[in-house]
Amino acid sequence: MAISPTTFAVAALLVISHLSLLTTPATSLSSDSLLTELSDLQSQSPTGVIRLSDSLLRRIVSLPTPRPFHALIFFDAHQLHSKPELSLPTLKSEFGLVSASFQSNNPNFKSKLFFFEIEFQESQSSFALFGVNSLPHIRLIPPTASDVKTESIQMDAADYSRLGDSMAEFIESRAKFTVGPINRPPVVSKKQIAFVIAVILIWSPFFLKKLIAGNTIFHDKNIWMAGSVFVYFFSVSGAMFNIIRKMPMFIADRQDPSKLVFFYQGSGMQLGAEGFSIGFLYTIVGLLLAFVTHVLVRVKNKNVQRVVMLFVLLVSFWAVKKVVFLDNWKTGYGIHGYMPTSWQ
Amino acid sequence: MAAQETSQSAIFRHAFGNVLSFTVLLLIGVMAFSIRLFSVIKYESVIHEFDPYFNYRVTQFLTKSGVYDFWNWFDDRTWYPLGRVIGGTVYPGLTLTAGTLWRILNSINIPLSVETVCVFTAPVFSAFASWATYLLTKEIKGAGAGLTAAALLAMVPSYISRSVAGSYDNEAVAIFALIFTFYLYIKTLNTGSLFYATLNAIAYFYMVCSWGGYTFIINLIPMHVLLCIVTGRYSPRLYIAYAPLVVLGTLLAALVPVVGFNAVMTSEHFASFLVFIIIHVVALVYYIKGILTPQMFKVAVTLVVSVGMVLCFAVLAVLIALVASSPTKGWSGRSLSLLDPTYASKYIPIIASVSEHQPPTWPSYFMDINVLAFLVPAGIIACFLPLSDASSFAVLYIVTSVYFSGVMVRLMLVLAPAACIMSGIALSEAFDVFTRSIKFHLVGTTQNPQENAGDATKVTQNDVKSEKSEDTVKERSSRKSKKKDKENIEKPSLVSRVEKRLLVLPLETSVMAVFLVVLLGAFYVVHCVWAAAEAYSAPSIVLTSRSHDGLHVFDDFREAYAWLSHNTEVDDKVASWWDYGYQTTAMANRTVIVDNNTWNNTHIATVGTALSSPEKAAWDIFNSLDVKYVLVVFGGLVGYPSDDINKFLWMVRIGGGVFPHIKEPDYLRDGQYRIDSQATPTMLNCLMYKLSYYRFVETDGRGYDKVRNTEIGKKHFKLNHFEEVFTTHHWMVRIYKLKSPRNRIRGKTKRSKSKSGTSKRSTRKKNPWQ
Repeated sequence: MAISPTTFAVAALLVISHLSLLTTPATSLSSDSLLTELSDLQSQSPTGVIRLSDSLLRRIVSLPTPRPFHALIFFDAHQLHSKPELSLPTLKSEFGLVSASFQSNNPNFKSKLFFFEIEFQESQSSFALFGVNSLPHIRLIPPTASDVKTESIQMDAADYSRLGDSMAEFIESRAKFTVGPINRPPVVSKKQIAFVIAVILIWSPFFLKKLIAGNTIFHDKNIWMAGSVFVYFFSVSGAMFNIIRKMPMFIADRQDPSKLVFFYQGSGMQLGAEGFSIGFLYTIVGLLLAFVTHVLVRVKNKNVQRVVMLFVLLVSFWAVKKVVFLDNWKTGYGIHGYMPTSWQ
Repeated sequence: MAAQETSQSAIFRHAFGNVLSFTVLLLIGVMAFSIRLFSVIKYESVIHEFDPYFNYRVTQFLTKSGVYDFWNWFDDRTWYPLGRVIGGTVYPGLTLTAGTLWRILNSINIPLSVETVCVFTAPVFSAFASWATYLLTKEIKGAGAGLTAAALLAMVPSYISRSVAGSYDNEAVAIFALIFTFYLYIKTLNTGSLFYATLNAIAYFYMVCSWGGYTFIINLIPMHVLLCIVTGRYSPRLYIAYAPLVVLGTLLAALVPVVGFNAVMTSEHFASFLVFIIIHVVALVYYIKGILTPQMFKVAVTLVVSVGMVLCFAVLAVLIALVASSPTKGWSGRSLSLLDPTYASKYIPIIASVSEHQPPTWPSYFMDINVLAFLVPAGIIACFLPLSDASSFAVLYIVTSVYFSGVMVRLMLVLAPAACIMSGIALSEAFDVFTRSIKFHLVGTTQNPQENAGDATKVTQNDVKSEKSEDTVKERSSRKSKKKDKENIEKPSLVSRVEKRLLVLPLETSVMAVFLVVLLGAFYVVHCVWAAAEAYSAPSIVLTSRSHDGLHVFDDFREAYAWLSHNTEVDDKVASWWDYGYQTTAMANRTVIVDNNTWNNTHIATVGTALSSPEKAAWDIFNSLDVKYVLVVFGGLVGYPSDDINKFLWMVRIGGGVFPHIKEPDYLRDGQYRIDSQATPTMLNCLMYKLSYYRFVETDGRGYDKVRNTEIGKKHFKLNHFEEVFTTHHWMVRIYKLKSPRNRIRGKTKRSKSKSGTSKRSTRKKNPWQ
């Protein structure tokens, strides 16, 4: 086991260097010509993933076993990219990342494992060849597989659940190639980071000067006030739950798909719109109360005070009542006092 | 003459106000204590759930053997054969507190048992916590707000859930410690006294002893200091409040064995050191500003700022390098998941799977802080008008805690005091304005204004709140005049008095508003009492159910543990799933293999593997661990849903995580977990199934499981390697004994048997688990 990859590598290197010397690929062996073609295609693609057409696939499959390489195929369908539950675009980009990382980490094994993608619209017959009828679907064809439908290995859902990392593990366990660390592109490029640091460095003396003078945006307490109330609103509305669980704003009714459900019954879950509306109700009462005790008292006109206060009281009462009602409806709790029995 | 009279009446009012607040505080303490007694009244005086049993056992050891033995205690009754160092792995605050209480009570000839002291520690400390809340809120917004906040905290459901009588856990004392530390910090900030600063460090030490949540303090206070500096509120008082806390607090924290060098090594604490440096730089700048003329200062500023910045960057670079060199960037998983809420769900399934670590939905807030959720925004705004050092701290506290509570439902406990403080401030301000308006209008219309005003408020407000809102005004003014002497940050009291006269609302709407606010308060009280009585009082060691023919009590757990302690040898080892480890050691005093302190995954996986294996393999594993008895919890007869069969898939998963021959799909039929006739053969032959359902068919003739609502798959079977020794009244706990090996090998002489037995064991030592 320890020797064979090295010999493979040497052989592959020889083959590649030999072939790359030739300007026109003289086809002595069909597998060699195919390898060169694939290597060409690989170097053309930015991530090293080769777009597989029906004819190319047929040529690969028709090679005599054992073939000189493994093939990992990603089955893609553009029309399904819009379905968020399949997360095809994410998987596709992760697949590309794994491919690029593999090729940059293992330049010697570049032609031992090729990464392919097949588009459903172009190559429906290939989909039929593998018997693929559901996506996402990733398949590894080992060199020994003669019947690709039965002898290739399908990647389980668990193997791409952690995206690129688990895909790499799959490759390591099944194809015995080490992918190595996956090189994800940084969120901001180095130039951007340098630019931001430069801006901060230039700006900081001015900011410090202002800071000492006590004249920045941070000295305006209204901003702090608005910020704190917003954080409060954000948290009590359960927005964090929506973010972590990726809850939609609303869902369609199971019985009647044309109707929309905004409020979900059952306390373990909530919908986005539901959370925000309750968060709004939570917040509005306190804001109105603060308005009355701090602003309205300064108003001179008695009638204005009266009307505004009545409005505030009504809205607050309604908001509290609504929340209590919705809470009882959602959780099913019946909160009751413990009155003496003689009172009833 | 007149002036003297008014001053005398002012003194009288002041004294009256003090006595009144003291009485109210006393009543609040009584209320905080008594609302938590529902569990004792409805059930009995027992320790609840799982972890409290461990704390109870540690306390017992402490009271018996003393502090030094406790500190060095190596516990051989658990995690057999590994054992566990208790002294170095627990937060000792709670046990030391209860142990001290017990010692004091005994020395004054009140002979309470250790268990009684443990049961009532949490309610006593909630009374302390509400008093601490009073002190803290008084520092922020005056005594009226303080009393309201204390009353709210005394019965806030979120805190009740962790501190009912019998729930003897770290949080019970930690929340008091948290609030008290904050109070001392604010007190130091307001007075600039080194005495309070020292007390603050000691209170922080107590908090570190009590709960891992102390990291919240050591990050919140630096944040506040930084905020004060950035918004130009630096003062020598701030320096006195902060610098001693960092130096003394860190030194003291490092004395707690479970924290140790983490107090200086982990990133959770780095913020405090960074701010410590910044505050010194700032102090230097202010000092230089003080001794130089403005022109000179301008020159100096450039110099100092550049030098200071270079220094800061250098330290920052070192810190970043240090942090970056550790794999998790020095942060523990839990802290990271607070900063990046999606972190845990992506990378740490163990943390993400615990229900306490889930993000809450909006009904959780309504359940846990109830109407306070409506009042908090008003409190936030009140804190900004006017903004002081203390009120800015309160705002920071509520904002950070509400954010954290949004990430993890467990941290609702930290939010609760902040919400109470804010709501106390809001309610007190609202009452202030409304009752002032009513008073003002009645002064204009009637002869005897004072009396009437008092009556009017008395009629409309029912409980404690009436007294509070009344003396708010009095306390306020006296406090203001005091404060004026020290600091001129607030307006002179005279001006505010004049303003108060003018700032009134119409009479009828004010009466309505007071009525509605009181209604809101009454609803809060009803909700809290309901939550305390119904939702949070179940001890889960004794269960009750109410059906048409009356109340049923299920006391099977204690029955089983009592059986174990009376009928087994002292050194016998009992295997069960880890949930019941603490209870077995505490109540039956028998050695267990795994317990709720899940520090060794492999060991837990071994037990999980044994329970998921067929009888023979399980026997081998258990025998290799010297296990004599196996305990399973079974709810199928009475319909108790959190039994071992329902937890079984976790045993399979955890077992399979270490020993790959246990595969989850083997126990599932088409991805479904079932125990009926469709169940897989692996499932029907595993030890857990057999021990749970052995002889079960004899109860009703067909083996109907009330939890899974189905007839079991395999009804008649025999046990070859285990024998049933005890089953409790409702079959909730079943205890089996491992048959001794001589029954297993037939047709051999005794001598060769025992020899082959041991040799087999030694050769199998590795084998049975892999």
